[in-house]
Amino acid sequence: MELAGEEKQIRALFSELRFADELATPSFTAVWYRAQSRALRPQRAFNLSFVAATALLVCALVGLGLWSRYLSQTRQPNIAVSSPPLTPTITPTPVVPKSTPHELSVTLHPNAKRSIKLAARRDAEQNALASAEINNAKAISSWQSPTDSLMRSPGEQVLTTLPQLNDAATQLKSFLPDRDKK
Amino acid sequence: MNMDPMEISELTAELERLHGASFGWAMSCCRRDPTEAEEVLQTVYLKILEGKARYRGESSLKTWLFAVIRKTAATEYRRTLLRRLRLTAAPEQINEPVATGESPTTSFEKSEVQTQFQNALKTLPKRQREALHLVFYEDLSLRETADVMGVSIGSARQHYERGKKRLRESLGQMEIGYGISWRGKANPSAV
Repeated sequence: MELAGEEKQIRALFSELRFADELATPSFTAVWYRAQSRALRPQRAFNLSFVAATALLVCALVGLGLWSRYLSQTRQPNIAVSSPPLTPTITPTPVVPKSTPHELSVTLHPNAKRSIKLAARRDAEQNALASAEINNAKAISSWQSPTDSLMRSPGEQVLTTLPQLNDAATQLKSFLPDRDKK
Repeated sequence: MNMDPMEISELTAELERLHGASFGWAMSCCRRDPTEAEEVLQTVYLKILEGKARYRGESSLKTWLFAVIRKTAATEYRRTLLRRLRLTAAPEQINEPVATGESPTTSFEKSEVQTQFQNALKTLPKRQREALHLVFYEDLSLRETADVMGVSIGSARQHYERGKKRLRESLGQMEIGYGISWRGKANPSAV
């Protein structure tokens, strides 16, 4: 394959470049042995960026867990109150502490006393909310629609009552003339 | 190391034979930076020793080796860029790194023609520059060039033809070429 003139010139320039590169080429032995020493070096079990990313992920997960736990603790009183039994006979009962205050102040730690007071307060709040819910339920059950009268029809009695056995005979009698009077 | 001692010894001899050409190719892939080219070549040898790059006989050893050098150079360049971005380097430092391994005497000895030729090469798009280097510098055929670049032979030919045309235009603007005008018409019978 015969090269054109300009291709010969390009090749000549590249040959010159190759000659210059040969002068700058490092020895094969040096490069090869450096590569071998890198290959023999014990590899790290992990790299720094992987460790940092894993640590961030773990912190994020722990933070998420703590946050969801905090949320569930703050919502707990509302959840307990929102579904009370809807029977009218239920009345809230007062909370009675199991031991006397005098004994508590002597035997328990101040922190425990505080927590018992907090629990009693929480129970009272719960009971108040429960009674409010019951009243709401009563009001809802007794509520009547203003347009209820529009739903009544003349033949409603026929649809809502069961016919009695002597009904027909009784009705007929009312149409018949009074024989006694005659 | 994952290779057999027999395999390593056989391969070592071949790699030593191709070492000069490999370095020249690495220089082309690393924008004429000899330090980076040496680092890339070392990484390639390491990959071969660790078995991460295995020659399976699908093409010639030279084309396979050159393909590995090309991919490794691209990976190293990306890593260097990311490292520089992380260190919030100035934009002018990221664009084209200066070849630091060149001694003052070497640069003095380089002819003006060669300097202008290398500058003209730098203006070429990467693939065109690669195609010209592989054909003219490494004496590879277009098929082998296509194998190294990982493209079809048609694409390789296109890059080669366009590279030649663009190089001719750049050199014509620089008025170099052993006394011959580069502005002449392209020879239609050229390969």
